[in-house]
Amino acid sequence: MNEKELLKGNIAIAKAALNCGCKCYFGYPITPQTEIGEFLSGEMQKRKLAYVCAESEIAAINMALGAASTGAKVMTSSSSCAVSLMQEAISYASSDELPIVIVNVMRAGPGQGYIFPSQGDYNQATIGGGNGDYKTIVLSPSSVQECVDLTYKAFYLAQKYRTPVILLADGMLGQMAEPASITENPYPEIDNSSWILDGAKSRPAREIHSLEPSQNKLNRHIIELYKKYTTIEQNECDWEEYNCDDIEVLITAFGTMARHAKALCNHYRKKGIKMGLFRPKTLYPFPYKRLNELSQKVNVVIDIEMNMGQMLKDVRLAVLSNAKVSFIGKPTGDMLREEEMVDASKNVLKEYYANI
Amino acid sequence: MQIFKVPKSIKKNSNFTFCSGCDHGVAIKLVAQIIDELNIQEDTIAIASSGCSVLLYDFLDVDCLEAPHGRACAVATGVKRAHKAMGNNKFVFTYQGDGDFASIGLAESMHSALRGENITAICINNTNYGMTGGQLGPTTALGQITTTSPNGRNIEYHGYPIKTAEQIALCEGVSYSARVALYDIKNIMNAKKVIKKAFEYQKKGLGFSFVEILSNCPTNWKLSPKDSHEKIKNELVKIYPLDVFKDVEND
Amino acid sequence: MIRNFIISGAGGQGVLSIGTILTNIFMLNGKFVSFSPCYGAEMRGGAVNCEINASDEELFCIQNKEVDFVVALNQTSFDKFISKVKKNGTIIVNSSLAKINKTRDDIKYIFAPLTQEALNLGNIKVANSIALGILSKITDNFSIENVKKAYEKILKDKKELIQKNIEAYFIGYNYIQER
Repeated sequence: MNEKELLKGNIAIAKAALNCGCKCYFGYPITPQTEIGEFLSGEMQKRKLAYVCAESEIAAINMALGAASTGAKVMTSSSSCAVSLMQEAISYASSDELPIVIVNVMRAGPGQGYIFPSQGDYNQATIGGGNGDYKTIVLSPSSVQECVDLTYKAFYLAQKYRTPVILLADGMLGQMAEPASITENPYPEIDNSSWILDGAKSRPAREIHSLEPSQNKLNRHIIELYKKYTTIEQNECDWEEYNCDDIEVLITAFGTMARHAKALCNHYRKKGIKMGLFRPKTLYPFPYKRLNELSQKVNVVIDIEMNMGQMLKDVRLAVLSNAKVSFIGKPTGDMLREEEMVDASKNVLKEYYANI
Repeated sequence: MQIFKVPKSIKKNSNFTFCSGCDHGVAIKLVAQIIDELNIQEDTIAIASSGCSVLLYDFLDVDCLEAPHGRACAVATGVKRAHKAMGNNKFVFTYQGDGDFASIGLAESMHSALRGENITAICINNTNYGMTGGQLGPTTALGQITTTSPNGRNIEYHGYPIKTAEQIALCEGVSYSARVALYDIKNIMNAKKVIKKAFEYQKKGLGFSFVEILSNCPTNWKLSPKDSHEKIKNELVKIYPLDVFKDVEND
Repeated sequence: MIRNFIISGAGGQGVLSIGTILTNIFMLNGKFVSFSPCYGAEMRGGAVNCEINASDEELFCIQNKEVDFVVALNQTSFDKFISKVKKNGTIIVNSSLAKINKTRDDIKYIFAPLTQEALNLGNIKVANSIALGILSKITDNFSIENVKKAYEKILKDKKELIQKNIEAYFIGYNYIQER
């Protein structure tokens, strides 16, 4: 089980889902994530699990919403423009407090855009593309191994907090392959017997709904939801620090972009500039506190994204006036190469380093 | 002799919140009686929808999940399949209006029927969008005046209405599709038989079963309960005939 | 040491499969390795390519401006990727399907009639394995056990096809020697 194999990101997500007891998958094909559904179709049928080739992403997420009410572990996957179709039900599931794992293997937008990799859905995922006061936990894998690890975590957090969790990968990670192992799921099972809908046997009937005509009750419900979000923010922030012990310059990046950002750090380290990387693994909750601490040690923070600067506002909220924040980004297509980042960062760094 | 009894599957002390004379109350009571008779209260998960039908869980004493507008059949699919994957056989039905089932949710409804999803859908057809104050819906009859068809529905301007039970009957995965009405005792008794059959077909695992209930909407039709029932009896049944359009055990 | 590769050609020439096999070989040799394919539009247009990065140390870049080795299995990919070869890098060109033409003098060229050699072997589809043999010879000299294992992983129980590909691999491996 723990032996490394050459795995595509999409397949790693699918295998990890199966391995941690995902009982239901509902989906509709869209590049660049279709392999998830293709892989699970055969495997789940073999195991007599629930798999439906849904008629649309709207149907898929609503099937997931229904299935989640039974206490079964549920996943759906899609990409960008089609994840937009799911936003209504994600808002419902947040209010209903139903655990659903939603995988978004991002492609470029807006609109249909194209299948090129992109990180353009940061805002949609972290702020919420649906209506009302709610938040969605968002996990950001950077490698195929993390596709496995964070899929486990997504299921765990979804069950633990009874809330939808988005696994936000990009097309490059979904399609690329590297050695990874389907490790054991390290998380415990969560007892859900107090809320699931399995028939009112020896207990009063239960209702799960977001509709609430009473002002007071609706206010109370939303305030309770926000207490939960506060707990999540306190307990679940997760990040990686790369060469941050003695930083002079801090890079922020997430997902696959953070890999190339590490190469940039190494490039400047060789030149004597102490550059480190801060990579949030949870985009919501965003690790503001730690980034704020690190930013106190530097003059400048450079945020690098495969979009036009979406995490940038969270970086600014964390850094405040501690350091100057600048941005390097490109919305889609080929990822920013090391050389392109070196060129772009020179303009920022020359203010602090004369001989760059 | 006890001539009236509240079904066991109706919640105690539930207040009737529908407009006076509305057929929703009768329809929900029938559903509750059938749940009692089939002894499935403890195995049932009902799916509520958007529209007047949304408050189902205020009346029915069974586990109940609200679906986003139009998605009841997709949600029911998820509930049914997830329980099956865990080795449980639960009874799952949706309770929807015509706007929910046949307009915004037609894709989910139709595809559940086409797949032959082993669930039951009940659609209350009152020929308008009731909860928002009586607008034109896909089932609004030609000539019918609503707040968004002030001069009456006409073909050129609004297009044709949908005959839902007939359409659903065309789907291969459907075990049962029928239309009933509730305008008099005879029809209420028949409606109960039909809904019970639809429920039994799910229990037998025969596939998607569907009942369209041709209902009144006294408030939005601006008619008394009695006159609204007269309208169904004299006008609407001619457009929406009461019949069984598919029955796999009889065909 | 980091080595990077682009394999390119037309759909049906086994670009992604040979890329996957190469990646597997590096993995079996205990290297850090990544495989990133182009996907979608270009595939539909008939052109396919993938980039492989292999290293003894943790690997960061999965896409590079230039690479050490390019394999071009047809004219289009030769034209497209000649500019992606690093200075002093090497391009292996399938001269059965691309004209021998040296537009740069700062790189090494290996022109080999891969398709013709594959036809001589009786299976046009193994041209990609001949290229892999050449790559092996000029780079890491892969252990034959790992090459076999990689083929077995991709081609599963198609024993004859595995055999044919290994034969093709050796034709490529010995190709440079013979020249």
